[in-house]
Amino acid sequence: MAQPPLRIGHLYAEEMNIYGDRGNILTLSKRAGWRGIDVRVEPIGRGPSPDLAEYDLLFWGGGQDRDQELVFADANEHKLASIKEAVAQGSVVLAVCGGYQLLGAYYVTAERQRLPGLGLVDLHTEPGARRNIGNVLIDVPGLGLEPPTLVGFENHSGRTYLGANVEPLGRVVKGAGNNGKDGTEGVRAGNIFGTYLHGSLLPKNPHFADLLILRALARRAPTELAPLDMSVELDAHQALVRRLTG
Amino acid sequence: MRQARLGPRGGAALWAGKLTALMSRALHVGGGTTLPGDVSRWVDRRILTKLAAGLDGGSIVVSGTNGKTTTSALIRHILDSQGRPAIANQAGANLIFGVTAALVDRASWSGALPASIGVFEIDEASLPLLVTETGPRVIVVTNLFRDQLDRYGELETTAAHLRRALTQGPEGVTAVLNADDPMVAALGEDLPRVTYAGVEAPELLQPQLSHGADAKFCPRCGSPFIFEGVYFGHVGHYRCPRGDFERPTPEIAVTALEIDGIDEMRLTVRAGSESAAVRVPLSGLYNVYNVVLALAATRAIGVPLREAAGTLGNFAPAFGRLEKVAVEGRPAVLLLGKNPTGFNEVLRTAIQFGKGRYFLLALNDRIADGQDVSWIWDVDFESLKGVAQHVVLTGDRALDLAVRLKYAEVPGDRIEVVTGWEEALSRAAQATPEGETLFILPTYTAMLELRAVLTRQGTLTPYWR
Repeated sequence: MAQPPLRIGHLYAEEMNIYGDRGNILTLSKRAGWRGIDVRVEPIGRGPSPDLAEYDLLFWGGGQDRDQELVFADANEHKLASIKEAVAQGSVVLAVCGGYQLLGAYYVTAERQRLPGLGLVDLHTEPGARRNIGNVLIDVPGLGLEPPTLVGFENHSGRTYLGANVEPLGRVVKGAGNNGKDGTEGVRAGNIFGTYLHGSLLPKNPHFADLLILRALARRAPTELAPLDMSVELDAHQALVRRLTG
Repeated sequence: MRQARLGPRGGAALWAGKLTALMSRALHVGGGTTLPGDVSRWVDRRILTKLAAGLDGGSIVVSGTNGKTTTSALIRHILDSQGRPAIANQAGANLIFGVTAALVDRASWSGALPASIGVFEIDEASLPLLVTETGPRVIVVTNLFRDQLDRYGELETTAAHLRRALTQGPEGVTAVLNADDPMVAALGEDLPRVTYAGVEAPELLQPQLSHGADAKFCPRCGSPFIFEGVYFGHVGHYRCPRGDFERPTPEIAVTALEIDGIDEMRLTVRAGSESAAVRVPLSGLYNVYNVVLALAATRAIGVPLREAAGTLGNFAPAFGRLEKVAVEGRPAVLLLGKNPTGFNEVLRTAIQFGKGRYFLLALNDRIADGQDVSWIWDVDFESLKGVAQHVVLTGDRALDLAVRLKYAEVPGDRIEVVTGWEEALSRAAQATPEGETLFILPTYTAMLELRAVLTRQGTLTPYWR
């Protein structure tokens, strides 16, 4: 029997795509496609939502502040119930930067405006005095990643704080991470992953891309991923690890 | 030509700046393109205003994401040909210090200027200050695209700088705006004197917005624009579906164009009932805009369209912008690319107009390049697939480019990562067969590195001389 297609929903693809988020979508779709898996990527814009539980993987990127405000309102009005249903049905969510901030209870903008988030994960974001900008290296234990690291670039003024029982995606080795204080970066809760890392995130972290693809496919049927050569990607990964730890 | 009234403090500032320039040249610490400005401003923070007051003919300033350097160079060329040489800042030195340094450098020790007009290219964030300090006659805004977000912040911030600068211009200032870039056109809404420039060649419109496109929504109501098509990026013919905002009709427009490889393009430019034929040794649609904006700017200070157009046949491209060089005997072209839209356009120019098949791509992530290399994922490197025969990758982040090309499905056996500028140039030249041209596409600091090698090899002269 032919493998079912991998359906990827790109939330607010038009409004939130400013930090090279196309790289994440390309990486997911190529790495699945190279394995003979049929991939469908659909942009999901503002307005009434399609049934998000139809998607195996929802990707949510970063945006400019103005666009982010539009999106916060739309997400709460049109997407909230459907995203919750998708999460309940095991869809994988990857949210980067602005999308990550939207996962939480609320986000306070630099102008002290409090925007309600989706409340999918117990976290919130406060404004910071200055932007955290630069390359980031994090250790990611417990997900079976080999190498157990993620590399990327962060550029955010928001400081994100995790609730007491929430697990970060990883521990900061270099960079600021969630808030520059507690050493955490990102969040993971079941199949929900949030992070400040772009750069783009997935091209230089192909092992993490594969983990997301595997979990997304596994929601329909138990499956394995055929190995793919990732030496080009890991060369770029390791070069950055060396530079940041050297 | 006039003696600027500097006063004792201004005089001291001028001398301090000029001495700094002499010293930095004597010590070979670069060309002194900004430091003298820095020192002068420290001694007298009004030095730029005082020196600029000596420009009887006023000044033209050029800002925007892409095309500043070439548009400024075209304006200077036209003015030169009119017997009105201009004082200009060096390409790349486009902060307030660079403009100050240019005037300090060209002024005599007593403050007399050898020219009566200034042409300054200026970073978008510095435009408000430059406008306040110099009171230009013409402000040109080329286009507005996502560019090095880690340095410049978001696009809205940049648009706000430009809006502020345009509304605080001196009385009588003319804004020359790109009608085809919605974000730039929107800047002209409440300004008393605006000249819109654009392209009216619907047969060249492409149906698809590129990934580097940003101005997708109406600035008034937020509805997605309806694009009849784009010439590049988000630059094209657009309107709001609710009628809240539409493309202004350009007063000066390119109505026909023919691009002949990378050597020459021929344009018909019309302004009212006037029309002129232009031949200019440039290529690429983005350069069509640079030309029409330059013609609009010089027309705004009284240079007749036909006279200006007639001078462009012997224009020499600015450094790194379609600059022709030789690398180990092979013909090569340097095409600077700094952001997704810029890079897309130089790639298109190399492939579509230059028939390029051999490439050297150089990616750095230093301060001037932007430290975040995410932007390469918004560049359509997919256009190299099936075209590129050999690609050498170099620079601080060459390995990121290798990943990008892999996901663009450029075959791995055509890609070579080479460490070292000299080695990369040499390898790329060797891989380019006789009869072919090597296309070199670097980011800003990578271009400086590559040019330094070519200068040592005797193929180029340092740009600041």
